[in-house]
Amino acid sequence: MFARKLLATFPIFLFMFVLQEAVISQFKIFGGGISLFLIFTLLWAALGSPELGAVTGFGAGLLMDLSQTTSSPMGQWTLIMILAGFAISYLGYGDDNFRGNPISLVVIVAVAVPLTRLVYLVIGLMLGGEMGSVLQTFLSLLSSALWSIAIVPLLMPVVTRVHGALFEEQSRG
Amino acid sequence: MRNGGDNRGRLLLISLIVTSLFLITLDLRGVSVISGLRSGSQSAISPFQSFAATIFRPVGNFFTDVTHLGRTRSEIESLKEANEKLRNSLITRQNADAELKQLKSVLDLAGTAQYKVVSARVISLGSTSSFTQTISIDAGVNMGVRQNMTVISGLGLVGVVKISYPNHALVQLTTDPAFRVGARVAGSQQIGILSGQGTNKAVLQLLDNQTALKVGDVILARGSQNNRPFVPGVPIGAVTSVDNAAGAITQTADVKLYPNFSTLSVVAVVVGAPKTDPRDALVPKGPAPTPVPTVTIYAIPSESPTP
Repeated sequence: MFARKLLATFPIFLFMFVLQEAVISQFKIFGGGISLFLIFTLLWAALGSPELGAVTGFGAGLLMDLSQTTSSPMGQWTLIMILAGFAISYLGYGDDNFRGNPISLVVIVAVAVPLTRLVYLVIGLMLGGEMGSVLQTFLSLLSSALWSIAIVPLLMPVVTRVHGALFEEQSRG
Repeated sequence: MRNGGDNRGRLLLISLIVTSLFLITLDLRGVSVISGLRSGSQSAISPFQSFAATIFRPVGNFFTDVTHLGRTRSEIESLKEANEKLRNSLITRQNADAELKQLKSVLDLAGTAQYKVVSARVISLGSTSSFTQTISIDAGVNMGVRQNMTVISGLGLVGVVKISYPNHALVQLTTDPAFRVGARVAGSQQIGILSGQGTNKAVLQLLDNQTALKVGDVILARGSQNNRPFVPGVPIGAVTSVDNAAGAITQTADVKLYPNFSTLSVVAVVVGAPKTDPRDALVPKGPAPTPVPTVTIYAIPSESPTP
């Protein structure tokens, strides 16, 4: 049952991935652009159990690794997204006051997005990648947090509704 | 029961992490299945990208213009002027005009140096999650585009083809932090290495200290063996500041890159290098000096009147 519901989320993530790669990537805006897929994944993971968060992160990370614009080794995003998905869902697991508060969700996703990217950067450096200008990196991370603050409230009603429809019974059980 | 659930969760987490580490290991060992997966996903997504580029690029250009407003008064004035001229044109026509202009300038540049080029449209502006600076173009192996070919715009070096798919290619931009190119200074012919910094400025490190660099010096690509990845003579940028630290073994300088990477829509891939090095033929010409009118007045003293 759980696996079937999990599979049902695949088209949703695939749609968001194609939206990110085909449409969002057309816009060159402040801070290097919006990572809608990353924001969506972390918000989705924040609403579920830690196990679900880890599996969500695994699937989303795998898609991000398949992106042609990813220059890192295949599996780097997967690893980071598993940890990010697990961590973000673990933080508020079992605390309905936390989960039910939209502001706390916005804050946690806005912190998690740049943190995830920072971890990606650090692991990339450990694997022999390049970093570039520190200021530019800082601005990029800051802008991703700001974009998350702007976008999460817009995504939240839809994401919570779809997530609830798919996993409510599961979480109750 | 609870312990059983916890153990299952831990086991799942460990399994996923081990899987991802396995993938990283396979990729770093160069297993071809992994690159095949990426190639397949790119082939599946590229039609969506091409379609979205046609529809959303005018909107994307609008956002780019808004982001760059207010940089300098002169830029605003010229934008206003351009906006007035274009107001009566259709949006699609505006976009087509811009692409045509970029295409013309890139063909002019390629023609001057006798590069054999394949022009391509930019269909995606690269990753927003990772810190790489790349673009995707709609020309690939089927059009003769191969890995490690130089990519230029009408203003100069844009980057190098990193991966080539059947109908598309991924281009690493000059701004990418991992980008390196052998460069030389036009005129003095000093050579050095130019590195991307993630912004529209790059850093040039000269290999010796024979001649002093100065602000305004034009930097050109030095060219590679067999002209790959870089053909010689492509303009890269101009020196904006020089670091002449006392005791430094070599000089370093900040170089402002010529192309505007935010508004790239048409580029060209150099598929055939010229037989002879164009040397400094592609150095951008400076603005022509405005002639100052001179007036010469001859004064002839008249004879003094007799009383």
